[in-house]
Amino acid sequence: MATSTTEQPRTSRPVKPTSRLRTTLWLLVSLIIVAAFWSVKIKWSSLADFPAQLVKYVSLMLLPPDWSQFGEAFNATILSVQMAWIGTVLGIIISFPLSFLASKGLAPRAVNAPLRFIFAVIRAVPEVVIAILILSVTGLTPFTGALALAVGSIGTLGKWGYEAFEGVDPGPKEAVRSTGGGTLALIRWGVWPSAAPDVFSFWLYRFEINVRASAILGLIGAGGIGKMLQDNVQFRNWDAVGMLLIVVIAVTMGIDQISGAVRNKLIHGRWRAPRLAS
Amino acid sequence: MSGAGAPGFMLAPGTARPIKPRRGTMTGAAVVLLAAITVWAGIGVQVDLPAIAANWRNATSNIVQLLQPDYGFFPKTVPALLETLQMAVIATAVGAAISLPLAFLASRATNPKPKLLAGVRFVMNMVRSVPDILYAAILVAVVGVGALSGIMALVLFNIGIIVKLVSESLDGEDLGAQEAALATGGSWPKANRVAMLPQILPSFASQVLYTFELNIRASTVIGLVGAGGLGILIDNVRSFFRYHELSLIILEILVLVLVLESASSWLRKKLV
Amino acid sequence: MERTGADIRFHDVSVTYPNGFTGLKDINLNIPAGEMVGIVGLSGAGKSTLVRTINGLVPITSGQITVGEHQLNGRGSAQLRGRELRELRSNVGMVFQSFNLAKRTTVINNVLMGRLYHSPAWRTLLGAWRDDDVELAMSALERVEIVSKAYEKASSLSGGQQQRVAIARTLAQRPMVILADEPVASLDPPTSHVVMRDLQRINAELGITVVVNLHFLDLARRYSDRLIGLRSGEVVFDGAGADADESVFENIYGRSLTAEDVLSSKGTL
Repeated sequence: MATSTTEQPRTSRPVKPTSRLRTTLWLLVSLIIVAAFWSVKIKWSSLADFPAQLVKYVSLMLLPPDWSQFGEAFNATILSVQMAWIGTVLGIIISFPLSFLASKGLAPRAVNAPLRFIFAVIRAVPEVVIAILILSVTGLTPFTGALALAVGSIGTLGKWGYEAFEGVDPGPKEAVRSTGGGTLALIRWGVWPSAAPDVFSFWLYRFEINVRASAILGLIGAGGIGKMLQDNVQFRNWDAVGMLLIVVIAVTMGIDQISGAVRNKLIHGRWRAPRLAS
Repeated sequence: MSGAGAPGFMLAPGTARPIKPRRGTMTGAAVVLLAAITVWAGIGVQVDLPAIAANWRNATSNIVQLLQPDYGFFPKTVPALLETLQMAVIATAVGAAISLPLAFLASRATNPKPKLLAGVRFVMNMVRSVPDILYAAILVAVVGVGALSGIMALVLFNIGIIVKLVSESLDGEDLGAQEAALATGGSWPKANRVAMLPQILPSFASQVLYTFELNIRASTVIGLVGAGGLGILIDNVRSFFRYHELSLIILEILVLVLVLESASSWLRKKLV
Repeated sequence: MERTGADIRFHDVSVTYPNGFTGLKDINLNIPAGEMVGIVGLSGAGKSTLVRTINGLVPITSGQITVGEHQLNGRGSAQLRGRELRELRSNVGMVFQSFNLAKRTTVINNVLMGRLYHSPAWRTLLGAWRDDDVELAMSALERVEIVSKAYEKASSLSGGQQQRVAIARTLAQRPMVILADEPVASLDPPTSHVVMRDLQRINAELGITVVVNLHFLDLARRYSDRLIGLRSGEVVFDGAGADADESVFENIYGRSLTAEDVLSSKGTL
């Protein structure tokens, strides 16, 4: 091989192409990152203490955690889960009809467009901000938190919903149309059967998101994980924070397992929990 | 029965017709269970509709204030706004850099060592189950108030998401090229680099942009526990009920997120 | 440094899969350096297993295989692993039925995969290949007459072109042996002949030992010096292509020939 390589003609070889757009994009992205690092006000030297500090706080939290706080941590976590559940259920009830109205082909354009805009706006606002807005109406209760999660859920569920409805196979839709069915029949028999598994799995996924988001809402007084976190961080009860951390991780992983198993059942028709490790 | 179609179309009742399968009990049980959970959760969060009605009158004045943003407040928000952006950019860059090798370790397709694979996946599941705000609260205590704790919290949050999504797309990749690279005498890391990385690069880039969008939103929030950015400002104006100013901040977040989301989705389309 | 082919010897080689299925049974073969060998048999007869034992992609259960200076042993004896196994593989190129290219990257990057064993890890990581390696990859592409596509994405090529890129990838290894596992099964008849002629030319010009699995009998007879027939993991024919008439094939296949066993539209050998 080696001797023959030099005998080969080399004139026909192509030149390595360069893409102007790609180079520009890369330069732009690198520039933004460098600028962010350069301009941000951070004492980078504090990173040097970080490992030691981390070990210190982790041992304060977990060696050992304050087991006497187990009950409170569990109740706080359960309250957050309840908030997430109610938020999800309300979000589903409101977003479900709206996402049909937002689907092209199932409702007039004049209805689609504003709904899609509303979904986009809601998605842009963090749940905490929604909660602060709702707070002024309902006062401070876990219900406020649930309502905030419900509104937040409408943004994502609405979008995922109309995307699923628009993406269904046109075959069954045409079949329903050809038998003379109206829009309602079209939705019930042409769209819903194919979209249902996806939509159910979106609901579960949004519940998983809400479980995590509900923790934040406690910070503004909605109760649950966030409240217990704030109370204990304030008084530097690190072993209680450690207890809370353990409970939150265990409950969240447990919920993800159950929800994953249900999702497997809905999509693949089999009960199987997603394996934690392998 | 008469009038159903043409005469002779309806055949004699057949004995071979199957009976409608009874799936009703399962569905019924599921509905009852879901309803029970909802009632239980409803009691837990104290659903109270009359209170909303009662509060509605005091609320209207707040809402009116919220509809009138105080634009004069804008210059004071600029530093926090910038900090939010800086945090999101840095956290995305660092998170992406850490996530890429971890994703290869977390995928069955690219990691041939079962024990290492199981370990990485378990840790990743744990990292993902902690809400970002919890990370932020703990890190504020460890490294102090400011952007650094916020960036670290976001990095952890990003690793959880990117590793999961990218390792899933690795799992779904065709393994032909990898087999070929191994057959030329390449080691696993080398084979993954040349055969698997180019395949998932577009989806990796798209996941990174998606987490950037999430970071913009999340970085406005984690400030509530002192981790820098607009969140600190929200906390201030909120405690003093300055709704005109709050409303401006919300407007800023809205514009920021919508602009960056459309920029990033444009970029994503260019990449894929 | 001129490289030539290596000889391949099978000594009492058996392969039993973990599920109990017997892939190969007591295979004894001696393939001299520089020979072009075609392997035929029904699917499931062990063709693919046989080829994949030669570069250790399928570990053998008992017996031993020598490829040039390398030796592969059955379970219980010293196994070739790590760097030694990779060294063997770097001397053995492999062509696959479905081409196995990384489709989202360029043709030249795919060919450079053939240099993985010889490239330091940092160069691989950064994609900073040595000039020598790029030169080798380019000349490999020239040998299969596809160098003009070097910077195009592999996915934009036709099936036949992709298979020639795959052959260039093995050439970039500067191998002593090339294994081909059903290299034309996904291609149309004219393209199949182009790819088979490429393999034949490489064998003749470079003296590389070529072992190729083929489903089509007429192709196997036409392009190989020697034919090996496998049935249920055992060698049932070993001889010159010219000696393999219809009755021999019926013995290998355990049934009479059909039009699907040959590539040519005439439906006969």
